[in-house]
Amino acid sequence: MRADRLLAGVVLAVMAGLLALWIAPIAWMFATGVKPAPEIFALPPRWIPQQPTLHHVQVVLTRWPFLRWMLNSLVVATATTVLSTLVAIPAAFAFARLQWRGRDALFLAFLSSMLIPLEVNVIPLYFLMNRLHLLNTYPAVFLPMIGMPIGIFLLRQFFLNIPTELDDAARVDGAGNVRILLHVIVPLARPALAALVIYMFTFAWNEFFWSMIALSSPQMFTLPIGLRALQGAYDIDYGILMAGAALAALPALVLFLFLQRSIIRGIAMTAHR
Amino acid sequence: MTPRRRRLLRAGEIALFLAPFGAFWVLFRLGPVLYGVVISLYRWDPLGEAQFAGARNYLALARDPRFWNALGNTLEFAALAIPLIVGVGLLLALFLFTHRGTRVAHWMEAGFFFPYLLTVSVVGLVWRWLLDPDFGIVLLVLRGWGLRPPVFLNEPRWAIPAIALATTWWLAGYRMVLFRAALEDIPEELYEAARIDGASGARIFVAIMLPLLKPAVLFALVLTTISGFIVFGQVLIMTAGGPGRASEVLALYLYRFGFEYLEMGQAAAVGVVLFAIILGLTLLAFRWLGLGTAL
Repeated sequence: MRADRLLAGVVLAVMAGLLALWIAPIAWMFATGVKPAPEIFALPPRWIPQQPTLHHVQVVLTRWPFLRWMLNSLVVATATTVLSTLVAIPAAFAFARLQWRGRDALFLAFLSSMLIPLEVNVIPLYFLMNRLHLLNTYPAVFLPMIGMPIGIFLLRQFFLNIPTELDDAARVDGAGNVRILLHVIVPLARPALAALVIYMFTFAWNEFFWSMIALSSPQMFTLPIGLRALQGAYDIDYGILMAGAALAALPALVLFLFLQRSIIRGIAMTAHR
Repeated sequence: MTPRRRRLLRAGEIALFLAPFGAFWVLFRLGPVLYGVVISLYRWDPLGEAQFAGARNYLALARDPRFWNALGNTLEFAALAIPLIVGVGLLLALFLFTHRGTRVAHWMEAGFFFPYLLTVSVVGLVWRWLLDPDFGIVLLVLRGWGLRPPVFLNEPRWAIPAIALATTWWLAGYRMVLFRAALEDIPEELYEAARIDGASGARIFVAIMLPLLKPAVLFALVLTTISGFIVFGQVLIMTAGGPGRASEVLALYLYRFGFEYLEMGQAAAVGVVLFAIILGLTLLAFRWLGLGTAL
């Protein structure tokens, strides 16, 4: 029994150490962002800034369209989330609640396309968007993300678990499929819809490779691409870079502090059957 | 209404349910895959003239030592990052599960998961600062302990491992959440029965948890393999493929040939190769590891 206790204590200590390692980079980023330049390179390094300053934050916010980048990210992520959810709902309904020939084959086709990352498609997408004259616009960034099958996959699993008696009862009352979907299924599927919204929003907010290719003018940059531009300009001016990174991380941190439970539950559902 | 008419109406309705998603999927997902194959068969002049080139782009790849270097670096990254991310994720999940309901677990979950919500630029910049050759706190701390650590990002041998570590920090929390969800799906009665039979903790882990976790582990492996093969942002920001070309991965090679040297055909060929690799590995996972049951 004593050996068990000891082991439990050791495990806990190791985990606490690991957690400290996990949190330290974030703390270090925030600390660096508010340190005056000499303190950033002080030896030995100090965790708590002696004379905290918003100078670097100010540089980022005034010399760069940082808030515009944030707005761009917000627009792109919102458009992706809303549109991908809207198109996934009826399709998932057709796959989960209706019988038709070819259904399972088509579902398998959608499902296997989950394995095609956006990254392998950047060259054809570039040609396509160029032809549609959409390069350097919001739609260039969000259109390719709307056709991601994750939504159909996630919602279908959830729809399948709703008792069919509910549809039958509604049908007896004369409701058609559209009414059943809107008034029976969708209200019951709120947890799955929330999960999808959280997943798509984080995905779109963080997307990097394709956005970098699709967007060319600094005014159109999303936050991840803007940060990369900051790096290009200041290379190793870590005060400015960390101020920018901290500003970019702040919305995620604030949201996470308030919505930790639902964000984690939402993300867990994306792989949950 | 005749039965034929009713059938048509029904088919029309189903088509309408599917059409909005289907249109986006065909135009921006399936279409580009096929279009990419076509592009890879042409030589694209930056002025817009295209010339059919047959397999020449692929042959150029096969003859380019830089391509093989990028493939090697990608494989090295995958070989390091995949087991690290999945392994750390699994360990963390086991801890959370055995301590479920406690305050400790609550804070651990938050702390380990949060990096996943950061964009890759933030991750890359932070780790570049942590590993800075002159003032990086990681090196300073290690030196403070009397060690002589390698200057990670500036040494060809250490650049990829350093990026793999940063990626583990970024992504392990997501796998942790997936694994924990899978652990919670295991019926409580199984543990009780095992305990009544006098099974030890280790035995319960090997005989009950591991087999029931298999689908989740396979799913995480496939997911992580894909992100391993398309690794890009961290590399671009932390080392830009350097030192020399020691960390130039396939996605970075694709980017440079497409958008810096304007060899669009050859870049598209890299995209096709990447797609083939991912498809091949996934099929192997289905075949050999029985992933079919996991989906």
